[in-house]
Amino acid sequence: MAGVIASSSRRVAALRLLRRRLFQAVPLMLGVVVINFILIHLAPGSFLELMTAENQVSDPATVELLRKAYGLADPIWLQLLKYIWALLHFDFGFSYRQNMPVIEAITINLPATLLLMISSIALALAVGVAAGVVASVKVRTFWDTLVSVAAMFFFAAPSFWLGIMMIVLFAVKLGWLPVGGMMTIGGAGGGVASVLDILAHLLLPTLALGLFYAAIYARVLRSSMLEVSQLDFVRTARAKGLSRNKVTLSHVLRNALLPVVTILGVQMGTVLAGSVVIESVFSWPGVGSLLFDSVSSRNYPVVLGIMVLGTLVVICANIAVDLVYMWLDPRIEIR
Amino acid sequence: MERFAIVGRFARNRGALVGALLILVVALAALLAPLFFPIDPLRIVGAPELWPGEDPAFPLGTDSLGRDMLAMIVHGARATLLIGLFASAVATVIGVSVGATAGYFGGWIDEGLMRAAELFQTIPNLIFVLTIVVILGSTLSNIVIAIGIVSWTSIARMTRAEFLALRDREFVQACRSMGMGDLKIIVAEILPNALPPVIVLSSLVVAGAILFESAVSFLGLGDPNVASWGRLVGDGRQLIRSSWYISAIPGVAIMITVLCLNLIGDGLNDALNPKLRDR
Repeated sequence: MAGVIASSSRRVAALRLLRRRLFQAVPLMLGVVVINFILIHLAPGSFLELMTAENQVSDPATVELLRKAYGLADPIWLQLLKYIWALLHFDFGFSYRQNMPVIEAITINLPATLLLMISSIALALAVGVAAGVVASVKVRTFWDTLVSVAAMFFFAAPSFWLGIMMIVLFAVKLGWLPVGGMMTIGGAGGGVASVLDILAHLLLPTLALGLFYAAIYARVLRSSMLEVSQLDFVRTARAKGLSRNKVTLSHVLRNALLPVVTILGVQMGTVLAGSVVIESVFSWPGVGSLLFDSVSSRNYPVVLGIMVLGTLVVICANIAVDLVYMWLDPRIEIR
Repeated sequence: MERFAIVGRFARNRGALVGALLILVVALAALLAPLFFPIDPLRIVGAPELWPGEDPAFPLGTDSLGRDMLAMIVHGARATLLIGLFASAVATVIGVSVGATAGYFGGWIDEGLMRAAELFQTIPNLIFVLTIVVILGSTLSNIVIAIGIVSWTSIARMTRAEFLALRDREFVQACRSMGMGDLKIIVAEILPNALPPVIVLSSLVVAGAILFESAVSFLGLGDPNVASWGRLVGDGRQLIRSSWYISAIPGVAIMITVLCLNLIGDGLNDALNPKLRDR
């Protein structure tokens, strides 16, 4: 009975949190849109001129159409309002390079990026938590030193360089894994073989992106495990007769994970941004590759669209992290 | 006395000491680059793709065009360190101003500024940097400013927390009762007391800025007139099948520099907060 009441009140709390977070997301999104707008207007030369020149649009009728579409004759506040209005309808403009609306070009590429992000975070958590637990349980031993040296290394290595070095070793020299891309062209005929094929392509980019975060989590978890294990409730649990392993895993770890989850939330945007570079190293067909292509061809609407949608992805991920946080620590009322 | 204690604690931290010495070497190399390698490092001086050690004249080998890798690394240190330092300075100025204003005045000013910090933390940082650089142009100053703009939030939060803790202390109240203006109290009275942890954070921001710049240059969006380490990694990328050392060497340089800066940051942190040691 008590359990039912607890779980239903927690569901209410979770829903309240969700509502508050969605409400807080509005000014954030508005902020990104305004920053975008400012950037467009800071661009040297007319935005329209640059765009038409880059895309080799010379037909005066088309130029006039674009001028109307972007409302460049209007006063600046009206332009901003129109811009916000358009974005509210997911109208990010048209990309001549892909010959499709910007929103479509981005959403086609989004799943690959999300896959890379999720697998990197999963790897970072698994490796980071395992290493952090080992280092704190075996504190001041060889294992502790090994973890901190490895963490220092991966925390300082640029991810793109790590990626290239892993390609050299595992793909070029040893030939174990593919050099890049997401699947073998014309290979792997569907079903399980295809999944395995994608996993083989996913492994190196995941390592290159995830090990940096694994290093952070290992360091943070080590120190927070050491801190939590000094607290009274841990001594109580030991006095109750629970084994050392049980206390470490179910009492200490659960509480020590909280700072790791906080950092995970703060770093969502960084993970998404990091995948841009990694995608370019591994020719991974995601938003990062699209961004790189758009940046090189000065395809502004796509670049700006990626910034807005990227922020949206980060906000959603942050809400998910908050819910996890609440599940880990029911005491916490998230503001 | 206290100051000597801090220096002493820093010097006892072996990692921090090694880091500081190595950074000194990198900084000296950067300063004295024109002395050691007086000719343009981007000039072709030997056969292309000489492996390190193959020709004693080029200890780190030559790249695909026959340029001296060692000369490029030493000259690249200038660009990399300068960009890191200036970007961190930009981030510190923005972060301290925002954090001090928010922490000192509180209320809706605090609320608004911290919302702005949250905004800059939410936007995927490197995507923002690339967007700024591509729209405003790949110049050194734009890159420095762009990296500064995405790196100030942690400094602002730290400064704000320090100001919150200090603004109602007796010495501040004394200044207020003497009729001292807000700006003078912030800059001359509270800031010097709030600065030590902020300096630690700034040293870590230098490391982050170097990584940012290397990623931007690696993607080919760096200033075309500057051969930073990130760009050298990117240049060597096409040759990883035959001469992977061209990408490997500048990457090692980036890693060592960032590693040393992190060690220094950790050492400063421990020296300034002796209670937190051994965590």
